[in-house]
Amino acid sequence: MSTILKILVLPLSLLIMCMGIVTILGGHITPGGGFQGGAMIASGIIFCVIVYGLKDNPLDLSHNFMSAIESIGALLYILLGLAGLVFAGSFLYNIGVDLSNIVPANIQCIFNYPDITYAGIIPYLNIAVGLKVAIGLSVIVITFMQFKPHNKIENE
Amino acid sequence: MLNLGPIIFGFLIGFIFGTRIKTKPESNIKFPLSSFMLIFLVSLFVAWQIGPYPYYADMPLASGFVTGIIGIIAGKLVWGR
Repeated sequence: MSTILKILVLPLSLLIMCMGIVTILGGHITPGGGFQGGAMIASGIIFCVIVYGLKDNPLDLSHNFMSAIESIGALLYILLGLAGLVFAGSFLYNIGVDLSNIVPANIQCIFNYPDITYAGIIPYLNIAVGLKVAIGLSVIVITFMQFKPHNKIENE
Repeated sequence: MLNLGPIIFGFLIGFIFGTRIKTKPESNIKFPLSSFMLIFLVSLFVAWQIGPYPYYADMPLASGFVTGIIGIIAGKLVWGR
C-alpha cells in the first residue's frame, strides 16, 4: 500500500473505533446499538488489517485476545439474562429498571446504567453485543487474510 | 448532572482495544507518542462537532467519544509495547 495510506489509516481507524464506541453507548435511546457500533469498531480494525497487512499491523489482535473478548461478550450477555432469571424469575428481565417492582432496591441500583435515561441493563447488553460483534467480524477478515494462495501451497 | 455511564464504559472499551496497539521495532511504520497527541486533539474537535450525544446535556461534546480516545491512548501507554 502507498505511504499516504500507511500514515493516515491508523489515526482514521482510531477515530472510526471511537465513533463505534459512541454508537454502542447511545444505543439505548438512539438508532444504532451493540451490533452497529461493533461493526464500526470492526471496520476500523479491518481497515488497518487490509492496509498494513497482518505482519506490520499496529492493531495486533492475537488469537487469545480475540477469543477472550468474544467469550467475555457472550458471557456478559448470558450472565445479565441469568441475573434477571435469579432476581425476577424471567430471563433477561430488566432488573435495573424493574417495572414490576419485584427486585430489591439495592440489586436494582447495581444493574442500573448510570445516566439520566434510567435504561437499566439495556446499555450493558449493547456493550456485550458490541464487543462480540467487533471481534467476530474482525476474525472473519483476519482468518481470510491468513489463508495462503493455492499455488503457494502446491509449491511448498 | 454528569452522566457517568458513557465516561466509564467509553474508557473501558477504548482501553481494551488500545492495549493491542503495538508498533513493532522491525517495522518501518512509526507512530510515536506525538502522533497520538495529535490524534487526541483531532478527536476533541470531532467530539465537539458531534455535540452532546445522545441527548445528554452535561457537556458540550460527545463524552463517550472523548473517553474512548483517552481509553485507547491509555491502553496503548499501559499495555501497548
